Amino acid sequence: MSELKPTNPKAELLLEAVAEGHAPEVLAMESVAGCATTFDPGWEVDMFGGTASLCQPMEADLYGCSDPCWWPAQVPDTMNTYPDWNAGKPSAQDDWRELDAVFPKK
Amino acid sequence: MLPVKALATAAALLGLAGALAPAARAGDLIITAAKPDRLYVIDAAARSVRAQFRIPDAGNGVATIVMSPNGRIAYALVDKMERIVGIDVRTGKTVFRAELSQSGERVKDFFGFTLTPDGRELIAYELPVLLKPSEYVVEEPRFAVFRTNAGLDARPVRSFPAPRRVHVLLMRPSGQSFYAIGFDVYEYDVHSGKLLGTRGIIHWDLPGHSQPDLLAFWPVTEPTGVFTSPISSEVKTAGGSEPRGGLMLLDLASGALKFQDFESVATVIFSSVLAPDRKTAYGAYTTLSKIDVERGALAQRVDLDHTYYSINVATDGHELYVGGAMCDVAFYDPATLAKRAALKLPGCGDQTLASLRVVHER
Repeated sequence: MSELKPTNPKAELLLEAVAEGHAPEVLAMESVAGCATTFDPGWEVDMFGGTASLCQPMEADLYGCSDPCWWPAQVPDTMNTYPDWNAGKPSAQDDWRELDAVFPKK
Repeated sequence: MLPVKALATAAALLGLAGALAPAARAGDLIITAAKPDRLYVIDAAARSVRAQFRIPDAGNGVATIVMSPNGRIAYALVDKMERIVGIDVRTGKTVFRAELSQSGERVKDFFGFTLTPDGRELIAYELPVLLKPSEYVVEEPRFAVFRTNAGLDARPVRSFPAPRRVHVLLMRPSGQSFYAIGFDVYEYDVHSGKLLGTRGIIHWDLPGHSQPDLLAFWPVTEPTGVFTSPISSEVKTAGGSEPRGGLMLLDLASGALKFQDFESVATVIFSSVLAPDRKTAYGAYTTLSKIDVERGALAQRVDLDHTYYSINVATDGHELYVGGAMCDVAFYDPATLAKRAALKLPGCGDQTLASLRVVHER
């Protein structure tokens, strides 16, 4: 942790918790102000370190992940920030070509 | 495809919607939902969609579905998990609507809500955040209680503190208390909101077992009144340890809570259901699994055509239903796990995380 420098109050609190030995008490909260509800690694690997137990096909899982902000690194935050990302595209398998990347709003 | 409204109207004219009432064929109705805003009523025996309804303002779709005790109202969590609506499954009419979020306070319900056995009160799990001009203030979670006869502008009549990380609420048949499933199993008094007890999930005390991992989004308790969920943990062995898959079984009537390993984890199971004989459970994901609950062993496993998140079983146990994720509901033989049929939903929107519920017509 000595290599990391906190840039906001929450990060400072985490650093204090580590210093005081309370880090195990710091747990992820759900739906605080966006996504990042879990720490899953994404579609790359399953719980066994392979790919055999991922959803088949991947599109079967796409909206099931974006709806509850399951994997924030791979899908836009449709719960709060980009609610219309997949509007008009009800089938991930049929409509995936029409799904766009998103960019921070200015 | 006919517009939804026209189809519903045609169904009503033909008396089909009315067939949900005690008239015609007695059997199972499967209730599910799909993007962007569809609620489906499926005649399981006929393998057909009896009715589909558009849920107004469903936003990005439907998550949890809880049926009223008389099977006539489907309560659905919609619109980014910020609204619960009640839809009459005979007419498609919206009869209940509760906006969880209010001006300046955004409230999400991560899947969990339940109904009292008389159908008069709905209890929702709320995660509120104050949206201030320069900051968001995370408030404490709470249970909010609504009266289901409050119409389209339902407001909480009472609320009480709740733990974090809860995803399933399950009413006990007595109507005096309900379970909240999260890191642990919490039981709350419906009226006072008092925490009556806590039993371990992450804090379980199973010899030789690590802390478990539990994914529980689907509040299916039909037809047995027993909630089940896959659970996994690392179990000590002579040579070290191995990941073991198991089931959590919570009997809502007796309160009995049981954890039972049944295999060395070889695949993922998302949701499960207990058969009416209570001797067998079934689980779904990319495979369909049959679990011998009495012996604690995997009995059979077959590949599914694609991933299905959710599973349910016929009221008499003669058939398995799998749904969720994509746009079909498939029917399987519980004895052999052979596929019998698949029903593609009109419009073919993704069901994603929508609950797959079963109502038995009488």
